[in-house]
Amino acid sequence: MEEEEEGSGEEQQRFSYRQRLKAAVHYTVGCLCEEVASDRGMPFSKQTIAAISELTFRQCETFAKDLEMFARHAKRSTINTEDVKLLARRSNSLLKYITEKTEELAQFNTEQKAKKKKKLEDDNTKSVVPAEAAAAEKDGS
Amino acid sequence: MEGTGGGFRKDLVSKLLQLHFTDSKTKVGGDALRLMAELLTIFVVEAAIRSVRQAQAEDLALVDMDQLEKVLPQLLLDF
Repeated sequence: MEEEEEGSGEEQQRFSYRQRLKAAVHYTVGCLCEEVASDRGMPFSKQTIAAISELTFRQCETFAKDLEMFARHAKRSTINTEDVKLLARRSNSLLKYITEKTEELAQFNTEQKAKKKKKLEDDNTKSVVPAEAAAAEKDGS
Repeated sequence: MEGTGGGFRKDLVSKLLQLHFTDSKTKVGGDALRLMAELLTIFVVEAAIRSVRQAQAEDLALVDMDQLEKVLPQLLLDF
């Protein structure tokens, strides 16, 4: 009897976690729809926003499972950008957009690495010079 | 990266995906997560814009369920 209660407690937690995620999605969807509505001068009914929100939540399940399978197919456990590109294959314009974004990200990452490397080199130069100067003085005397 | 003021936050997207993974070892890389947030935002905005276009074509003042239902099949085919 006790086990049953604990089981249903866990289920309750899972259920309310799902509800919280759905609420978060609904909030974001609402914001995006508001932007489109004011941009186009065409309001949405609350029902429609709720429907788009439900739709998006369900689409995430399909996306997640597909992504997991793509990664597993490539013998990886971490989903990467190639998997996402594969996900976006059905519409040419979507694929093109996602591919462009991937390249933007890759370039951004390279620039970040270059910045860090330069900073490291600069720091090293600063600390080496005083040490050498001190050593030279010591030898001199 | 974000074209719209709104858009999906990375932590939310991460939780949404994790919810449906079948293997506990499955993770999402940082860049892939950013792309997925972008993809989801596009999904919502497409649904919204196509519904608006449908309402405009029908000469309506409000986007309601009927308009969404009409654009849904093509939307799902495109994604």
